[in-house]
Amino acid sequence: MSNENMNEQAVAENTTAASLDDFEPAETTAAPEAAADNMLDFDDDPLSATGVSRKSLVIFFLIDTSGSMKGKKMGELNTVMEELIPEIRRVGEADTEVKVAVLTFSTEVRWMYSTPIPIEDFEWARLRASGVTSMGAAFKELNQRMSRNSFLNSPSLSFAPVIFLMTDGYPSDDYKEGLKELQNNSWYKFGLKAALGIGQEANDNILAEFTGSKDTVVHAYSGGQLAQMIKIIAVTSSQIGSKSMTLSDDTSHELGEEDVFAAKQKLLGQQIQELVTSQTDENDVPFDTGW
Amino acid sequence: MFNGFSKSVMGASHEKTGLVCQDSSAFKVGDGYAIAVVADGHGSKKHFRSHLGSQFAVEAVIEAIDRFYEEREELEKSLPTNAKLIIKNIEKQVISNWNIKVEKHIAENPVTAEEKSKFTAEEFEAIPQESYYGSTLVAAVAGSNYTFGLQIGDGSLVAIFEDGKAVMPMEYNESAPANVTASMCNSNAATMFSSFYVPNKRLIAMFGSTDGLYTSFGSEFDFLDYHSIITSQLVNLESFKKVIINNLTKRSRYGTEDDISLSCVYDEELLNEKLPVLNAQVENNKKRAAERKAALLKKQVELE
Repeated sequence: MSNENMNEQAVAENTTAASLDDFEPAETTAAPEAAADNMLDFDDDPLSATGVSRKSLVIFFLIDTSGSMKGKKMGELNTVMEELIPEIRRVGEADTEVKVAVLTFSTEVRWMYSTPIPIEDFEWARLRASGVTSMGAAFKELNQRMSRNSFLNSPSLSFAPVIFLMTDGYPSDDYKEGLKELQNNSWYKFGLKAALGIGQEANDNILAEFTGSKDTVVHAYSGGQLAQMIKIIAVTSSQIGSKSMTLSDDTSHELGEEDVFAAKQKLLGQQIQELVTSQTDENDVPFDTGW
Repeated sequence: MFNGFSKSVMGASHEKTGLVCQDSSAFKVGDGYAIAVVADGHGSKKHFRSHLGSQFAVEAVIEAIDRFYEEREELEKSLPTNAKLIIKNIEKQVISNWNIKVEKHIAENPVTAEEKSKFTAEEFEAIPQESYYGSTLVAAVAGSNYTFGLQIGDGSLVAIFEDGKAVMPMEYNESAPANVTASMCNSNAATMFSSFYVPNKRLIAMFGSTDGLYTSFGSEFDFLDYHSIITSQLVNLESFKKVIINNLTKRSRYGTEDDISLSCVYDEELLNEKLPVLNAQVENNKKRAAERKAALLKKQVELE
């Protein structure tokens, strides 16, 4: 593809060693979209080997894989998550690079992949349930990894992450200690948090402690509800999470991080509650009966 | 013989908000030395003249370094034993030069009613004059058998020495206060610089860039590999400039929409001599990138 006309003047400007007066006018990216895209899209660019990264959003799924999740709950969750990935992928098609990190917790805590995976490359690994509910250990592990020195080490700018907890039971370890550590983590503080209780045993109060608000906690009592709730939370939170609310022009006031966090978390709570109440009650079998 | 290039491209976000490009960049080949420099004007509301501040920063550092090289023999004799002190003195000179330029500009161009109109009277009073021009600065200096650099605020400096590997040699100033972006306009700016000095090592190329470039990459590996690729193409600089400009423009548009500046100086003779090493490095980087990606996609949970 030809770029022969691109920036010839600019190229000429720099052909000799620059001196102090060599402050050439900056190139602008204002060219009409389509034409400019053609000019920029050329096959012989050796620099294209290193891709361009957009602003990224990491969605953390914290998933209870303890023994009580066995059977219908785990089966349904695996299926929903497989279906969900293409839906989240569409959120990432705009200006945001969405990445997914899945932390499973039962007797042990394990990440599905060793690092957050770009949504285009992400493949759901069907999970198996067994063991106890080490939620506190999961919070500690999340705290360690949610750092510029670990999972969030990409040079590209990041939105505050989305953190989505799913569990069906009471923690078997000291979750408060883990949560306390996590609550000191800035990514957690400014992240969008939501939780889903699965079945009768899940304790919504503990989940609200995790999210910081009851509005961002929902409950699923059946397979149909589980599918609906996971999709509502994951899609809504990734849409809100990837919204740029920090942009301001030079006349309006600039939003601080705390304002943006508060606005986003509030919006998430409102939207989740609106969507949850609009769901029709399906005639599917509740988790806690008949199995 | 040294050669170089520099380029600033305007970010799409500045396009949208009607700002001019806040970055400035330049390179200079002197007698036995070369300087690559970039500066990133802060661009936010109270730094309403930062596009000029970044230009003054670029001028200030080149003038300061030139002045030290007026006595090149003396300078090069002292550097091996007194590098820290000499670089500190250059930094002080840079801040002094910059402040003189800022004061002169304000004297000749008082703040306009339009500039003031974006603030309440109290807000405006609270802004120190030099803040109008706030900017970062990254400067890289290549000598005959040594290199050094200095930096205040965000930005990156990448060097490729004779082994062909891209490295970031800056030793970051840990004493700079946390949560405060170091800037030319800070009252204690002279204490906020980071710097480095590498003696007895031949340099192929060295690059300074504003943070719009770094933040357009998904990993530091990619960022370093990018500099290796550019270095391997510098033998055809005239034709390759077009590719670099297009790529920076693409990165600005599809990356974080920020202004991007890249400035480079390189040793033409050493570059030609080490071309096979550089090309091998680029191929090796490609292999490693593929290996990293494969490792990334390994699942590590108990499967159904």
